[in-house]
Amino acid sequence: MPSEIITLQLGQCGNQIGFEFWKRLCLEHGISPDGVLEDFATDGQDRKDVFFYQADDNHYIPRAVLIDLEPRVINNIMTSPYSKLYNQENVFLSKHGGGAGNNWASGFSQGEKVQEEVFDILDREADGSDSLEGFVLCHSIAGGTGSGMGSYVLERLSERFPKKLIQTYSVFPNQDEISDVVVQPYNSILTLKRLTKCADSVVVLDNTALNRIATERLHIQTPTFTQINNLVSTIMSLSTTTLRYPSYMNNNLIGLTASLIPTPQLHFLMTGYTPLMSDCETKTSVRKTTVLDVMRRLLQPKNMMVSALTDKQSRQCFVSILNIIQGEVDPSQVHKSLQRIRERKLANFIPWGPASIQVALPRSSPYVQSAHKVSGLMMANHTGISSLFKRALAQYDKLRKRNAFLDNFRRESMFQDDLTELDIARDTVDCLVQEYEAATQIDYPQWSPAVEASKAG
Amino acid sequence: MYALLVFVERYSECKPVSESSSSTSLSAMGLPHGNKTSDVNSAAGSVPTTLAIASTSTILTTSQNVSGSTRLSLTQSQDFPTSTPVNCKKATESDTTPVVFVRRGPMDRNRGAGKDERNDLSVIKERVLNAVSDQSLSGYRSVTNKTGNSPKSMPNDLVTLTDVPDEYRTHLLWEYYKVDGDKVPRAEIAAMPLLSQESMLLDELLHCLTGIRESLLVPQKPIISAVGLAKYDTDFDIHTHLDRSLTHQVREILPLASYFMGVQKIIAATDGLGQVMNSLNEALQELTHDFYLIIVQAEQELRHNRLTLQKLLYYLQPTMWVMHEVWSSLVIIQLSDSRDAEVLTYLHERIKRLEGNKDAQQLIIGLVRKAAKPYMRMLQMWIQKGVIVDRHREFLVVDNEVIHRDELPEHYSDDYWERRYTLRDEQIPSFLAKYSDKILRTGKYLNVIRQCGKRVMPTQEMNLEFDPTSERHVSVINDAYYFAARMLLDVLLTENDLMGHLQSVKRYLLLNQGDFTMQFMDACEDELTKNVDHVLPMTLENLLGLTLRISSARNDPYKDDLHCELLPYDLVTQMSKIMKKEENWQAQPRLDLSGLECFAFTYEVKWPCSLVLNHISISKYQMLFRQLFYCKHVERQLCKIWKENSIARQFEPQAASLYRAAFTLRQRMMNAIQNLEYYMMIEIIEPNWHIFIEKMKTVENVDNVLRLHQDFLDSCLKNCMLTESSHLNRSIFKLCKICLKYCEFIQITQRYFQDAELRSMVRDSADSSESEQESLHCPQIETPLDPTDTFSERVRRFDLEFTQLLISFLKQINSMAKKNTADCFMNLVHRINFNAFYTDQMDKMCVEDAIG
Repeated sequence: MPSEIITLQLGQCGNQIGFEFWKRLCLEHGISPDGVLEDFATDGQDRKDVFFYQADDNHYIPRAVLIDLEPRVINNIMTSPYSKLYNQENVFLSKHGGGAGNNWASGFSQGEKVQEEVFDILDREADGSDSLEGFVLCHSIAGGTGSGMGSYVLERLSERFPKKLIQTYSVFPNQDEISDVVVQPYNSILTLKRLTKCADSVVVLDNTALNRIATERLHIQTPTFTQINNLVSTIMSLSTTTLRYPSYMNNNLIGLTASLIPTPQLHFLMTGYTPLMSDCETKTSVRKTTVLDVMRRLLQPKNMMVSALTDKQSRQCFVSILNIIQGEVDPSQVHKSLQRIRERKLANFIPWGPASIQVALPRSSPYVQSAHKVSGLMMANHTGISSLFKRALAQYDKLRKRNAFLDNFRRESMFQDDLTELDIARDTVDCLVQEYEAATQIDYPQWSPAVEASKAG
Repeated sequence: MYALLVFVERYSECKPVSESSSSTSLSAMGLPHGNKTSDVNSAAGSVPTTLAIASTSTILTTSQNVSGSTRLSLTQSQDFPTSTPVNCKKATESDTTPVVFVRRGPMDRNRGAGKDERNDLSVIKERVLNAVSDQSLSGYRSVTNKTGNSPKSMPNDLVTLTDVPDEYRTHLLWEYYKVDGDKVPRAEIAAMPLLSQESMLLDELLHCLTGIRESLLVPQKPIISAVGLAKYDTDFDIHTHLDRSLTHQVREILPLASYFMGVQKIIAATDGLGQVMNSLNEALQELTHDFYLIIVQAEQELRHNRLTLQKLLYYLQPTMWVMHEVWSSLVIIQLSDSRDAEVLTYLHERIKRLEGNKDAQQLIIGLVRKAAKPYMRMLQMWIQKGVIVDRHREFLVVDNEVIHRDELPEHYSDDYWERRYTLRDEQIPSFLAKYSDKILRTGKYLNVIRQCGKRVMPTQEMNLEFDPTSERHVSVINDAYYFAARMLLDVLLTENDLMGHLQSVKRYLLLNQGDFTMQFMDACEDELTKNVDHVLPMTLENLLGLTLRISSARNDPYKDDLHCELLPYDLVTQMSKIMKKEENWQAQPRLDLSGLECFAFTYEVKWPCSLVLNHISISKYQMLFRQLFYCKHVERQLCKIWKENSIARQFEPQAASLYRAAFTLRQRMMNAIQNLEYYMMIEIIEPNWHIFIEKMKTVENVDNVLRLHQDFLDSCLKNCMLTESSHLNRSIFKLCKICLKYCEFIQITQRYFQDAELRSMVRDSADSSESEQESLHCPQIETPLDPTDTFSERVRRFDLEFTQLLISFLKQINSMAKKNTADCFMNLVHRINFNAFYTDQMDKMCVEDAIG
């Protein structure tokens, strides 16, 4: 059983999206909430073993590790119909159960304290797989546990498993609403540093865009977490279809991500999805959805799960694109669609290297009836993502200038003496932004970050 | 037979139409039904004695039933030579249907002509009826005995053939042999009254028509050197003392004798030359028989003094036309030396040409139908059971099998389809030409089905007969064909799950089961990177078995058919061999090949799937596999260094820029290789496979399956640049090679720069510039590379080399696409150069080429 992937769910947000993700996978693979393979799914041609393993009694158990510092979300999961699905030994709950109080530093240091227990679980899981390919981490970057403890786990993980791929699904905070977490900018920057340094690829899930899509496209006035998480789980499951329903290409995580990420720093991926429900509400679909339709829609900013994309005229550009298209697709249409996009210049690409749209056409689960004949997911490396980091930097700088709300940070050992960690993190993120900016230029291969950036710290 | 009917009907118009002709003719002869056989036999028996010893053999060949008993009855006095064919007729004729269907034509035709003679005819008819009812055997004899001047009195032993050369008489019945003993004195003809002259002449004429030499009508010596029609033509000298009016009328009738004799000659000459000829001759014998009947009837009339030359001419006129047609047809056949199917073809075409001449057409139709019988019997055996019984090599299909299938070498199936059964072009009758392919395939399918160990059970009885007037045989052939095609398709597709096998082959040999491929590569990488001489096939086989069992392929029922193979040549060599279809694949001195370059999966196929998945097909799959596999390997290596390189995230930002050139080069390689894979897999193989599957849904026969499968493979090969004519695959190979070299280089240097950078991080970041220097120099010190090279210099050279290769590859495709727009190679260029990154370089190179 090769290329197994262990999923780590950290914090409130991480566990919630993780929960939705597993629900979705169970549905797609025909696994009942208690882990038994449904009768109709026994002859499946899918690969369940990437994300599940089978217990002695043949129950399917997710390769998932659930970690939280407060019990609320995990308790919810454990009282849901899916409680029996998970391996109880893989659930880590902090003993005091007080959470991290939305404080990155608290989460980080708590992570340090419980690392032995956590890594016992991880080691056990890793040993239990034949050839572990990597880890997938679900968390948010704004809170305490997901960001703080997530950062700690990320660092340790990359040290302990340097050969394994680490991919994260990181939820970025909603910029449209005033956050109740005042230290959110600090948390974000500190987490972003770890994401830059330790993760191999980061799938950015921007709550701003997700909420906007929910309200504007799906017409949900006040979208709940579940509805948003549903969107996220769709993206997560779609982005892993090529692993679970293998075909010619992109059958492992590394093959999937390597082509998307040309240089190690540029590893923040954005996603786009179509059709979003509103598309089907306008039931005036007079003609068949073609591959080109899907690919064109995927290039539209309104279908992006990141609120960063600016219009076409900007110099922001795509570094790479992978489209995963499912449904009734004629494979011979792919080339024509690519040609059309190329001729119409529907997408801006980097000037310093070859870049193209890869299209994967995986099979889809026969057990999930989709309302749409064709659906598509785009995973793209786009320089525009830097606007997200810029935004985070700006908010950080605002707070940092006033040294506001740092008391809680200073309480933790990491920031007791000085706040250099914050500055280093800021530099890292700033450098990242610069690199993304540079990646829009033709001389990117020769580019070197401005020296004053490091001096500024 | 037609002529007979004219005659009989004129005499007995009141007879029911349905009455069979043989009984009619026999009763017309006055033979009682009860014992006609023996009587006729006895009548036949006398012929050799009375005429010629030489003719005995002929009688025996034309009719098997004239057996020993016939000869025993020699003593019986019978002098009526025309009865011999009657006997033949009796012995061989069992069905009278043809007569029934030819009946109408002559009746209609003669109805108008016969009106003025109705009175006369009615008288004649009455007499004949009387004869039929009254005459006993003795009466008949008495009638015949009255013809005292017939040649019965000639001495038995004095048969000399003075004026006929040997070659002209060997097989013949009576060809106007001159019998020396015939010294019966004749009255001077000129001195006789006209009426007597006519009577005598008629007597002689009737004999002459059956080939007996007489004194008044003497056949001219055949011209030995005669060619063409003349060879089978006989001219007669008419006694000069005959009355002129008689002479004139006799001349009208005499060609009939010539035709008849010609026909007889040809029958004799072609006897035993194959089933078709025999069958045709049999039909002609029936004709002969009918002709004799007419003569008998005429003679009977003559005995009653009711026959005049005028009447005879009138009666014989239709017969003459028909006989002329038969004669000329046969002569043409004989002259062109046609045999078997050609005869059928010729006669069949003749039918069309006789469109205006209905009688002759009907007659020829009858002949064709009879003559085609044995042929159609063979055809029926073939399309019903797939069996060929063809001793004379007349059938249109040849079975080339020498040995049984199980004993044949492994490549058997390749040839089986093409070579086992073939068409014999010269043996296809024209009326089957359109269906020859169907016929060939029908039997072929049946044979394949039988070789699968199944019983071939035709659903319905078929009765295949050739009828030139209808197309019934076509529907029988079609039915048989569809039955066989359907059945074999069922055997292949349903019972042997051909599509399942093809799916499996696609899964493994075309890397459709990507996870299995990756897993297998994981398992075998170490083994395959060795030199091929050190690779242990057993290890590979074990690893393959293991991988198959633990990967998602474990549910595949055909996974055990997959095996490893180490070919003694690389892809380029294999390709040229396949394309040239070389027979002897002698192993050339093995180059320094790695296991990877020689490795291929092979798929074990059993009969009958091996018909489709034959050796050549598997080889083609293997070629595709090797290219895909090699690309996949390169991609994996690139992914590997990608992962290892990702450590650079932790480098100082300034230092990281140093390696960016290396990373972007890797990215370009990855882009090229992945796009190549995408192109081959997603753009070529998958769509073609879809087309193939779609077409397979409506496939009707196995030949279609074979063709579709071959089309699929050829299209894949061609578009994956695996044809010898383009050297593109060599470029691909070179591209892969340089990528691999680069991977190797990066892997070696990786640990040095990793050490350098990460150690520098531990140090104060202030002297980062120094660490940068260090990183530049580290690799060159300890690696076996050229010491003057720095890391970035090396990368730059790799870059140059790779770019040049890639650009020239793209350019090559470009120029090919200009020549041939049908290929989709250009798609690959569009893919690799999607954002026009290489356009400038390509243009530059074009300009350089133009200059230099």
